[in-house]
Amino acid sequence: MKFRVDRDVLADAVAWVARSLPSRPSLPVLAGMLIDARDGELLLSGFDYETSARVQVPAEVTSEGSALVSGRLLADISRSLPAQPVDLTADGGKVVVTCRSARFTVQTLPVEDYPELPEMPTASGIVKGDVFANAVSQVAVAAGRDDMLPVLTGVRIEIEGSAVTLAATDRYRLAVREFSWTPEKPDLSATALVPARVLADTAKAFASGSDVTIALAVPGSGTGEGLVGFAGISGGTMRRTTTRLLDGEFPKYRTLFPPEQQTVARVETAPLVESLKRVALVAERNTPIRLTLGDGQATLEAGSSDEAQASESIEAAIEGESLTIGFNPQYLLDGLGALEAPVAQFSFTQPTRPAVLTGLAAADAEPNTDYRYLLMPVRLQN
Amino acid sequence: MSEVSGVWADLVGQEPTVAVLRTAARAAAARLAAEAAKSAGEGAAPSQPAGRSGMTHAWLITGPPGSGRSNTARAFAAALQCERQGCGECTACRTSLAGTNPDVTLVRTEQLSLRVDEIRELVRKSAMSPVGRRWQVLVVEDADRLTEQAADALLKSLEEPADRTVWVLCAPTVEDAVPTIRSRCRLLVLRTPPTTAVAQVLQRRYAVSPDLAVFAARASQGHIGRARALATQEEVRARREQVLSVPSKLRDLAGCLTAAASLVELAAEEARAATAELDATEKAELERALGVTGSGGRGPRPRQLQAAQKELEDQQKVRAKRLQRDALDRALLDLVAFYRDVLVVALGASAELVNEELRDDIERRAHANRPELILRQIDAILACRDAIAANVAPLLAVESMTIALLEPTRR
Repeated sequence: MKFRVDRDVLADAVAWVARSLPSRPSLPVLAGMLIDARDGELLLSGFDYETSARVQVPAEVTSEGSALVSGRLLADISRSLPAQPVDLTADGGKVVVTCRSARFTVQTLPVEDYPELPEMPTASGIVKGDVFANAVSQVAVAAGRDDMLPVLTGVRIEIEGSAVTLAATDRYRLAVREFSWTPEKPDLSATALVPARVLADTAKAFASGSDVTIALAVPGSGTGEGLVGFAGISGGTMRRTTTRLLDGEFPKYRTLFPPEQQTVARVETAPLVESLKRVALVAERNTPIRLTLGDGQATLEAGSSDEAQASESIEAAIEGESLTIGFNPQYLLDGLGALEAPVAQFSFTQPTRPAVLTGLAAADAEPNTDYRYLLMPVRLQN
Repeated sequence: MSEVSGVWADLVGQEPTVAVLRTAARAAAARLAAEAAKSAGEGAAPSQPAGRSGMTHAWLITGPPGSGRSNTARAFAAALQCERQGCGECTACRTSLAGTNPDVTLVRTEQLSLRVDEIRELVRKSAMSPVGRRWQVLVVEDADRLTEQAADALLKSLEEPADRTVWVLCAPTVEDAVPTIRSRCRLLVLRTPPTTAVAQVLQRRYAVSPDLAVFAARASQGHIGRARALATQEEVRARREQVLSVPSKLRDLAGCLTAAASLVELAAEEARAATAELDATEKAELERALGVTGSGGRGPRPRQLQAAQKELEDQQKVRAKRLQRDALDRALLDLVAFYRDVLVVALGASAELVNEELRDDIERRAHANRPELILRQIDAILACRDAIAANVAPLLAVESMTIALLEPTRR
């Protein structure tokens, strides 16, 4: 194997593949990155049995072949090389990296022990990279982090024709985001449960590119079942990644949204977030902040009389009955942050029932129901 | 008895269990086929109630040490991954047996216990879909070493794993698993393989002479791994001989103390011999995986190397401790077998002697001592095992044992 490649192209591609390599590999070969040179291009791959990453970059290939080297080391080397063309040559059990007068000799790992990368699922569609990244970040915030409840650490993806719904919950809050995409077949219908951490990382990585292809398996098709694949062109190179799906029953979340509302309050998001952060300072661990709505004001209170206390009121447009409700301050902050809207609308039924947050572009605009954040209240002591 | 082949060939003398597992693997394959047919929309799949009952999602394999619990688990995993239910030749079979199949996770520990964080990671995995198109098999080879917390973490997932996940736990006896785990698994009991079966395998696989094979099979009392070591390694036989020379050294108090010290030293030496090479290989492998070239620090040293090295060294230390304990335990079991032989002769029972080659010494002792005394000697050794398991300093426990073994007639 022998080829020459542009330094920036190599560094970018290697860094991207190395991202998904395990830091404590269960098998030594899994710490490796597979370099496959053929036909004027270079294929770099990494796989840790859960997530696979593969990138295709143009290169001047003088002699075809493949080699497996430590991915971290290759990433460190390619990042620090001077901005000159890089030559890679496989030589016996070593790979030699030369750039200007810098020369590295890297040991290879046995290629024949390396597992085969999973194939991309077949059914797919396209969405803009930034839309997808934004939607995922809004939903992933509500995903659970407790590995003992694996199903809740995932983001549920539901596809019905051109409509995509993302949902995640950790039992205390639920985030749902809807957006549209261009499916390959207009009648595509599929669901998947993707580990939230992996999905968030993947979406972020594709955010700068133009389009992302999302690929899901059609049940019974045989290829790529239990996998979701993402592909996109980023930095001029084709990047593909697959990840294993979570298997399990995601809660039926659509019925959790209350059908009617008794109190609706609109508050400017930024001042509410600031005041919430201030008041939450005195809320001890696991104690709620109290939100009282009435008389055109939203009042936040926290703390108890034998400890520190804080309260602050801000302006709010309120329709319906006044009420007092308790929330976990961090969960409320997460929700307000994920709205990404200047005005937040709270819809309540009762202080013991969940509240729904939606965003508005302006105080008198219609609420944007593409994104809904359902938050369970905390029962207040007397 | 059906003909045993493929991945099952090396499970010595476990025909009944193999039959159960083969049925299960067939039922599992039938279920996959039925699911595929159903989701491909080929109308209602033919129902196979008989086949379905053979398969379940949680198994507990128990059996005496060396009866091949983990090999059975691996063979079962291979049979589940294989298109032909365990041909032993395809990639799926080979990778499953070797532990490199992405859908077969083998959890074992060379340490004293399986910690809760390892099990948490496993539980997370259990919720994933298989990488391939068949099953995800999670094998816990040392279920008896689960800490209480770790066992608790396992319960939920063991009861209701994801559709395509299969748990296989292994433990020496069913009492080694907590009741909450036991009740969630289907139990399979392996038996102690007969001496002749073990001897045959030794001859077939390692080409040892028939005499040596029979000796190793007898001396190991059905422990296949131990039999292999005895049959193939001269120094293992030498160590065993030294252990069995202990009873003849117990003539006075000084002799007892010297014998105890040498027993403990022997175990330490065995552990050192086993770990020294392994430690170095593991370190080199870790460095290579993290990209340190062998030739002394060319290229940058990866940041996480130190942390990973530290972790590895800690693990190696704990492993050395466990190996020493295991070696001592084996020595004690050899001694138990020796006194058991004495008892067999003293009682005039017709059972086969484990230490046939020491028959003269055994008969002399059997005539000189009353069976009660011999039983007390056996009890003393077993008490010593218990004491060591309960973390008593090994030398102290062994000294106490050798003194208890002292025979009054010689005092």
